[in-house]
Amino acid sequence: MNAIQVQDLRKTFKVQKNREGLKGAFADLFKREFTEVTAVKDISFTIPQGEICGYIGENGAGKSTTIKMLTGILVPTSGSLSVGGYVPYLEREKFVRNIGVVFGQRSQLWWDIGVIESFQLLRKVYRVSEQDFKKRLDELVERLELQELLNRPVRKLSLGQRMRCELVAALLHNPSILFLDEPTIGLDIVVKSEIRQFLKDMNREHGTTILLTTHDLQDIEALCSRVIMLDDGRIIYDGGLEDLKQRWGTGREVLFQFGNPTKLEQLEHWTTGMPVVWSAENELGAKVWIPLDLNVSDVLGRVVGQADITDIKIIETNTDDIVRSIYQSGSAEKPDEMAAALKDEREALHV
Amino acid sequence: MYYFGLINEYLKNYIKSRLTYRADFWVEVVSDLLFQATNFIFILVIFMHTDSLGGWNQNEVVFVYGFFMVPFGIFSCFVNLWGFSERYITKGEMDRVLTRPAHNLFQILLENIDPPSLFGSLIGLVIMGISGANLGLPFEWWTIPALIVLSLSAVAIYTGIYTTLTSLSFYSDAPTGILPLMYNIQTYGRYPVTIYNRAIQVLLTWVIPFAFVGVYPAALFLQRDEMKGMALLTPAVGAVFLAIGLLAWNYGVKRYKGAGS
Repeated sequence: MNAIQVQDLRKTFKVQKNREGLKGAFADLFKREFTEVTAVKDISFTIPQGEICGYIGENGAGKSTTIKMLTGILVPTSGSLSVGGYVPYLEREKFVRNIGVVFGQRSQLWWDIGVIESFQLLRKVYRVSEQDFKKRLDELVERLELQELLNRPVRKLSLGQRMRCELVAALLHNPSILFLDEPTIGLDIVVKSEIRQFLKDMNREHGTTILLTTHDLQDIEALCSRVIMLDDGRIIYDGGLEDLKQRWGTGREVLFQFGNPTKLEQLEHWTTGMPVVWSAENELGAKVWIPLDLNVSDVLGRVVGQADITDIKIIETNTDDIVRSIYQSGSAEKPDEMAAALKDEREALHV
Repeated sequence: MYYFGLINEYLKNYIKSRLTYRADFWVEVVSDLLFQATNFIFILVIFMHTDSLGGWNQNEVVFVYGFFMVPFGIFSCFVNLWGFSERYITKGEMDRVLTRPAHNLFQILLENIDPPSLFGSLIGLVIMGISGANLGLPFEWWTIPALIVLSLSAVAIYTGIYTTLTSLSFYSDAPTGILPLMYNIQTYGRYPVTIYNRAIQVLLTWVIPFAFVGVYPAALFLQRDEMKGMALLTPAVGAVFLAIGLLAWNYGVKRYKGAGS
């Protein structure tokens, strides 16, 4: 069964135009001009139950608008959507009992009262029975180590502590679909990886479907089997992260440390006939770029026998680079051209 | 039942968070009462210069004022929409409210509950008691039920008018001008409407019916037969305006645009 089904979803906002200068401001007073901005342009996708899907894109690409439509906050301009068997904006109050929402930049908790009191209040709002609530809370508190925080008021928590409490608040009613809007924003590495592990376990144990937006691609790498990439309101990539890497990764780099100074010409000579690019790091270090279709071991084989090597490091193209270049080009559909661009950039760096 | 449970929970939390700021609570009670006291003194000052206002004597006008305070206190406690536009629209807290399984307006009202205002209602009852005794008004079997029904109807009128106006926030970015204006107009309702000219009487009766939150219902207890019909109409007006308010609100929520990110 599909947890989320979206067909030709579109959202248009009317944005007031502010004319320039004092004269313009007076003109605005009497006759407003509006421009239509389409934040989400006819997107379609489906997410099966139990999947963790990453939703990425630059600022203003339409991620949050999509999430807000999926959670019933905004009414779409056109298109159809179904989340957990409901049309979110039509039966909002019934629908939201099956979903959990965490907005990284906004708190779900009450500022002045203790954390546990916020949870109690949410228990009433979501009509969770005392028994289920206790069981669920114990489990979550133990898992996220919140025992000592429960009686503190929310305003006295650190961001990391608050974020873990937010997660509990969103999960108390055991939702089948969880929406996370930048859940790791501003957190330190320890808390980030804790939260990632927690989400992974949640997904495995309860089969919770998770849709998250993030700017931290490590979140995606750690969690998601699938990414949907958005640019200017359109989906430009939808598929596995590995596919993306394969299609976009142009090659690997190998970093050598030599025991004694080795000339670049010497290295190039050893690898004649191979489409590799050498560059010097310093007197004792050099880097070689190897295209995907060439075996790393072949190149290594040529060098290892002849030079005095103290250390070797193999570097895969990292996701950040790939995604950055896709954002810059605004399309994931022309991998050849882009691959060339990537390579150019790389070579430019090496020269 | 569910909603009554929620009122209880939110009140409990209000008390818990307020106990940490006790001084604040009393400052609010005192300043509310001082505000009412100045209005009250104004009435007394008027009657130092005249014996009757449009055919109403001092005790009657004071009684109307006492009645006016009862629904106004209840309304101010449970329907506090003053900061709505800024807090929920501009800062986008409406997002959070909309992802919870209770009616959104109800949640917002509960989050902004303001119990100190209820002291005003208590004082209003005392004023009614004193001026009623001065006038020798009879205490009938229906006095208490009528007081409850009429007060709740008046609360419904307030709620209807203010939710209608607040729902404009969903369309315009900052409809800040209207609420204070309305707040001024509503004070007209606590004096006998007959002292105003015809146009204002019609306005206060049928357009923005603030006469129904003060003078008309109070007239029932004052045995003013000329306004008895109007007094009995109060629940109907309350129902109509509350319905308009809720419709405008629910329609507005569909237009909610969200904030920023």
